[in-house]
Amino acid sequence: MPARVSLKSLKRRGGLFEGIKSNIQALAVGVKYFIDPQRSTLLYPKEYIEHRPGYRGFIVLIKDKCISCAACARICPSAAMKMVRVTEVDPKHPDKPRQKQYPVINYQRCIFCGYCVDICPTEALYHTPFQDVVYESLADMFLTLEAFQLEPGRPSVSEGSPVVYEVDEERGLIKRRR
Amino acid sequence: MKESPIGTSSSGMLEGQKLQGMVVRRVEKELYEVFIGPQHPGSGHMRIIVRLDGDVIVEADPDIGYVHRTMEKLSEVREWLKPIPLLERMTIIDACNITVPYVNALEKLMDKSPPPRASYLRVLLCEINRVASHLYGFGIFGVFLGHSTMYMWAFGDREVFVELAEVLTGARLTHSYPIPGGVRRDMPQDFPEMARRAVRYMRGRLEEYRRIFVDNPVIVKRLEGVGVISRNKAAELGIVGPNVRASGIRYDVRLAEPYEVYDELDFEIPVFEEGDALARTWVRVEEIKQSLSIIEQAVDWLERHKGEPIIPKEDYDKLPKLHKEVYEKTGRVKLLPVHATMKIPAGKAIARGEMGRGEIIYYVESDGGTTPYRVRVVTPSARNAIVFKYIVPGHRLMDLPAIYGSIDYFPPEADR
Amino acid sequence: METILYLIAYPPLWQVLILGFVGALLVAMVAIWFERKAAARVQRRIGPYWASPRLGGFMIIVADMIRYVTQQVIIPTTVDKIAFLLTPVAVLVVTILPLAFIPLSPHELYWPVASMEYSLLIALALTTLPPLLTVVLGWASSNKFSVIGSLRESYVITAYELVAVLAILAPAASTLSFNIVYIVEAQQPVKWLAILNPLAFLAAFLAVLMSTSAFPFEIPESEHEVVAGPYTEYSGILYALNMGGGYIRRFIYAIIIALVFLGGWAPYTPGLNPFTGFIIPSLIVLVKASIVVLIMSFLRAVYGRYRLDQALDAAWRLALPLALLGLGWSIILAYMNLI
Repeated sequence: MPARVSLKSLKRRGGLFEGIKSNIQALAVGVKYFIDPQRSTLLYPKEYIEHRPGYRGFIVLIKDKCISCAACARICPSAAMKMVRVTEVDPKHPDKPRQKQYPVINYQRCIFCGYCVDICPTEALYHTPFQDVVYESLADMFLTLEAFQLEPGRPSVSEGSPVVYEVDEERGLIKRRR
Repeated sequence: MKESPIGTSSSGMLEGQKLQGMVVRRVEKELYEVFIGPQHPGSGHMRIIVRLDGDVIVEADPDIGYVHRTMEKLSEVREWLKPIPLLERMTIIDACNITVPYVNALEKLMDKSPPPRASYLRVLLCEINRVASHLYGFGIFGVFLGHSTMYMWAFGDREVFVELAEVLTGARLTHSYPIPGGVRRDMPQDFPEMARRAVRYMRGRLEEYRRIFVDNPVIVKRLEGVGVISRNKAAELGIVGPNVRASGIRYDVRLAEPYEVYDELDFEIPVFEEGDALARTWVRVEEIKQSLSIIEQAVDWLERHKGEPIIPKEDYDKLPKLHKEVYEKTGRVKLLPVHATMKIPAGKAIARGEMGRGEIIYYVESDGGTTPYRVRVVTPSARNAIVFKYIVPGHRLMDLPAIYGSIDYFPPEADR
Repeated sequence: METILYLIAYPPLWQVLILGFVGALLVAMVAIWFERKAAARVQRRIGPYWASPRLGGFMIIVADMIRYVTQQVIIPTTVDKIAFLLTPVAVLVVTILPLAFIPLSPHELYWPVASMEYSLLIALALTTLPPLLTVVLGWASSNKFSVIGSLRESYVITAYELVAVLAILAPAASTLSFNIVYIVEAQQPVKWLAILNPLAFLAAFLAVLMSTSAFPFEIPESEHEVVAGPYTEYSGILYALNMGGGYIRRFIYAIIIALVFLGGWAPYTPGLNPFTGFIIPSLIVLVKASIVVLIMSFLRAVYGRYRLDQALDAAWRLALPLALLGLGWSIILAYMNLI
């Protein structure tokens, strides 16, 4: 069934009685929320949100799974992933060092679209479920290969308590301490 | 070409005379020129040059282009999948509605079509975005009229829908959800119940919005009869979206050329005839109600048809074992490395969609390479910008925010 | 102890300096804090919080005051310097001037001036001075937005002046006297004129809303067409004086309304010593005035802004007939010896 057009028209404007009634209605709604605000404000950093596991947060590399295909660097829409060449020595053939390339990320450019995670053929990249990371200088946001393999530190974990937001029928979003 | 105002009529200069790259034009002495410029709390990312005669606006000139980000040119140097996050940022609050027509154009060129479940998921996210976009419009409208409560309530309730989008796609606003052939993720198990609760909540809240904002006598007085766009004028100016549906023209892309699964859903397109700012507000309120009904229908269908694929069968068969495992376990579709440099057969395609603010048109031309040859996009706000020039003159200065908010003009979208 | 009490209750000290400047500053701060908190509650958020969580965020206003005092005052080169610098100060002084003619106790010992015979008339006349200085503000800062804002203010002045004067003089018609002390004594113990004459009370409330740019009439300084109206070019301590001046004016009007409509210090009968005779009645009046100011602040959360010609329309077609009806009803009240 395709869409139907429904023709509507505005209400006729009432007189003085309508005016008084709508003023009182507006004030009544205001007073109702003044008495019971139903707030769900997040008092960051005393509390922090714990997102669900599918959240597209900061990205971490598992180096052992990486096969150096560079698909992540090729798909990145904002050129945030770059491959760096690393000389590795295989313990079984110590006289034949090999050049491998691994990805490093520039968080000044990353838009967290998740294409790199989706395109990696060996699932060597994964999303952590948070994004509130703090860097103290812009140069720190160009991660090195070692930093890329570690999950970024999250200061709010030590300072605050986790909360989860749920959708409720009466109050919209409510905050639930986990 | 600069226009220099001449104070008196006896300065010896004739109208229209060219003077070393300047055009001399007579300006009335009593007109007061005010620049509602970019550094102004009530102007958005644009400048409106307003000429006043006392309190009445005689001329209004929109000066747009402050947020031009060369998105069409940038799409020419990026491979086929990369413009999806780029084009989404034209109107980030309406992300899915903007990318679905681009993906439809690609599918026309590639001769693919998404399976029904993917279409329903796209429509679900599109309608969630439409509700969030209309609430954003209400918020900005409220704050232009001085009603800060409407602003806070609209943005607070928008949070509910942004939360729904986050559960579905993993990101609050920058979804990048559709890909040519389907969508990137499937719906989680507890999503239908969450969506139904959000829909019921929003219906109750719309009633409260009506009492404190839409039927508030102060607001009604400010909006009634302001910025009237008659039916002929609307057709002549070529405006789109809820603005034209408030002037009596029955035009909606979902009605004229249904895309995705809009021809299987049961919903109404509200049309008002008065054409003033109050009618435009009511069109948006009614559209929110219709979008809530579409969300319910989509979620019902998705619950009944569990386990169907979200990418076409030929693409699924080409996936290696690891990708199939990830898809079975988490519902996340993994791309193949060839997607980074995929080639689309040569051709031209046009696709249209209905965003929250109106009709968006994409023209995509491919020459067989890895990047598009041309992507041309016409956004609804670019077509609505003309309202400032032709409808605003004749109103008072304080009607300018009312008209601006009621046509829901969004400068980043207009400037691309 | 007695001498210290008599010293504090010396009317120019207590009424003009302590209650006037310090009290008005405190009430302005509480009014601003309450406006932000009440609007936040209606809008389902917290409002000021982090500055002092246990006090409900009140210290943010104190922090704002400290910031304004220490902030650099930028004077643009195109302004008319004397008018630019002196007018906000003059506005503050003229705003507090009516307090010199308002009695806060029935005993002659505690009046600021010798006779209170025409106090209502004089106080009301003095409250009409500050808006004229707002027009000077727009002239002084030579900025197109300021000019538009102060022209709007001049339109609004011509509309609401009449309404304010008529509505607040209605109690004088009821009690047949301009003496505020007599009006308050006539309302003892609970024959308050707000209950007996609600039309005049409503008209007076509307007139005060219009005159002090409270929502829904916040027109001269509406942010979305004229950045901040006449106050656009100000920064630092002058900005604080301007913004606080609006609240202090509201407070002075509220004191007058509390005295003539809400019974003043009724139902309390003041004694003779300074504590029960002056300090307590003045605090009761202060509480009543604060309630009126806080209700005006609450309206910010519910209403939008009127357009200029619609506000003038509301003044001439709604508030003026209401004030005239209130005046007529108060004459009927006097005739029937109800008060």
